[in-house]
Amino acid sequence: MTHLRSGSRSTSAAKSQSATPFAVTRRRFVDRVTVAFATWCCLTAPAGAGDVAVNVIDRRGGVVADVAVTLAPTGRHIDPPPRPSGTAVMDQQNRAFVPRVLVVGVGTSVEFPNNDSVSHQVYSFSPAKKFQLPLYKGTRHAPVVFDRHGLVVLGCNIHDAMAGYILVTEAPYFGTTGRDGALTLPAVPPGEYELTLWSPLIADPPEALVRAIHVDVHEGSSSTVQLTRDLRMRPEPRPRHGDWEY
Amino acid sequence: MRVRVCAAALAVALWSQAGAAADQLVLDGQLDLRWVHSNGATSYLEGGPGILRFDPQHDDVRFGGAYLASRLRLGDTVTLHAVANAYGDHDRNPVDLSEFWAEVRPFPSSPWRWSARIGAFHMPVSLENRAAGWSDVYTITPSAINTWMGEEFRTIGAEFEARWLGASRAYVGDLAVVAAAYGWNDPAGALLADRGFALSDRPSTLFGGLGRPPVTFYHEIDRKPGYYAGLDWRHHDSLEVRALRYDNRADPGAATEAGGAWRTRFTSLGARLEPTERWTFIAQYLDGDTIIGPDSAGINQFRMAFHAAFGLASVEWRHERLTARFDDFHTHQLSGFFGPPGDESGHAWTVGWTHEFGNEWRLVAEWIRVSSSFPPRLEYGGASALLESQTEVALRYRLHAGW
Repeated sequence: MTHLRSGSRSTSAAKSQSATPFAVTRRRFVDRVTVAFATWCCLTAPAGAGDVAVNVIDRRGGVVADVAVTLAPTGRHIDPPPRPSGTAVMDQQNRAFVPRVLVVGVGTSVEFPNNDSVSHQVYSFSPAKKFQLPLYKGTRHAPVVFDRHGLVVLGCNIHDAMAGYILVTEAPYFGTTGRDGALTLPAVPPGEYELTLWSPLIADPPEALVRAIHVDVHEGSSSTVQLTRDLRMRPEPRPRHGDWEY
Repeated sequence: MRVRVCAAALAVALWSQAGAAADQLVLDGQLDLRWVHSNGATSYLEGGPGILRFDPQHDDVRFGGAYLASRLRLGDTVTLHAVANAYGDHDRNPVDLSEFWAEVRPFPSSPWRWSARIGAFHMPVSLENRAAGWSDVYTITPSAINTWMGEEFRTIGAEFEARWLGASRAYVGDLAVVAAAYGWNDPAGALLADRGFALSDRPSTLFGGLGRPPVTFYHEIDRKPGYYAGLDWRHHDSLEVRALRYDNRADPGAATEAGGAWRTRFTSLGARLEPTERWTFIAQYLDGDTIIGPDSAGINQFRMAFHAAFGLASVEWRHERLTARFDDFHTHQLSGFFGPPGDESGHAWTVGWTHEFGNEWRLVAEWIRVSSSFPPRLEYGGASALLESQTEVALRYRLHAGW
């Protein structure tokens, strides 16, 4: 749902969800970038471009949300869609990063507002982006620019159970699956592409999460990826307000 | 004039800096007023053989205690902590510090993050005392193990921790190695030998005394530092497992006017499982020994082994929490007999209920029934075996403030 360069279909899907903090944050972010894209989609979508639909289901057939999806051309060169204005958002609520997984293009700025009741110290020591945001609440710090592709693991130096992930990609099309395990990347030019999935929950080997797809000029593409291994257990964050924060 | 302008500019700059950072100073406190009803012997705090905090002579409305825990962040890596307590039980210091320490925790630059604590603080054994001021979130009275931890132990020294952060491997959890060196813990073991295990929410403070006559705990007698080392594993934010080996390395032959040094060693194991948002299960086990008297004393050297365990189940829903705990504890004197053997054997059932009225007020009710035998009680003219019970209903007010 947090894709920067795909269009309004996934936005409407997000709006149809119940107003959980997760959904609210995603909606706010998507709303922010949609204004920039709506005009662009109408005016610049290439003639004959198709929609790419992706569904991710687990070994037992259940939907898998918050899966990062990237789509990169493998054949002829395509003109990358223009980069949207706006800033992506990785929020902090109830001692958790929201969303848990965010996908952004290389060069994107990401804000880290802290809308929690307690202060946080956000950091990453991932090679793709090392940074530290000293203790804060609200929006004290300037957005962080993610200028190298790769996975950036976020943590809080006070609350070790907090973990968030930002996947920085060079692929022109990307997003994350919604609560229904689905993502639609609209207006993708026809051609051959490589579809890649990633989630901290998925235990399948990385090579099993890459597949070649063909985007048809009329039909677009539809892919359902069924995982072969059980998801890694990941309980929902549980703020314990009685705990003394050392 | 220029000086004034510069001073004003500096003040504004400092104020804006302080205002920009959040929660630099946080205070958490609690006041506890309770109704108590007891059946059993005079409490050890009054010089009697009973092993509960209150006794029938203190059936009434009582001041349960108060604490104020402060946390001051200096920059992004240093935090100062201090905890002050008052118990209203004729302690020589009406208000006293129970902990104060500085913690250094730099931002991690790799999956291993180190941190250190320097000062006086509780060692990482109790899985019950997880709230501000080392208070128990499940019952009023902690288990026999953690009662003893609060009474005779404080790390007065430095603790180092290296924690592997699992998020870098898409794992929600971490594993820490912790080690500490400390002094001023040479009397640890004396109270256990003299009284056995107890169940009480009256921990010691750093400079005060416990009971009548007051007993003080934190003395350096042999000038030898002690150590502890352990592991802490947190898995999926729902399971925490701790293991710790403690040895105060005291010379049992050393003595000063503060008393003799007790060589106390133990191994502690504990796990806390929170499989759902509602349920908590805790189990802890402690096994060790304590020695006093020079080695040359032979069989007259006092040696005592001890072990204790408890299991706790707690469920919370809406504004309620219900907890049940079973304690089992034993001491066994091995040598140094000058009277009845200091062999304590006991078990206890504790049931607690908490109701929260908003963020500030809560009502906590608790019932304890403890059965124990301890032959040295015969010297007081009483029976070795005791069956005691205690019912408490505490009204607690909590304060929280941050700047």
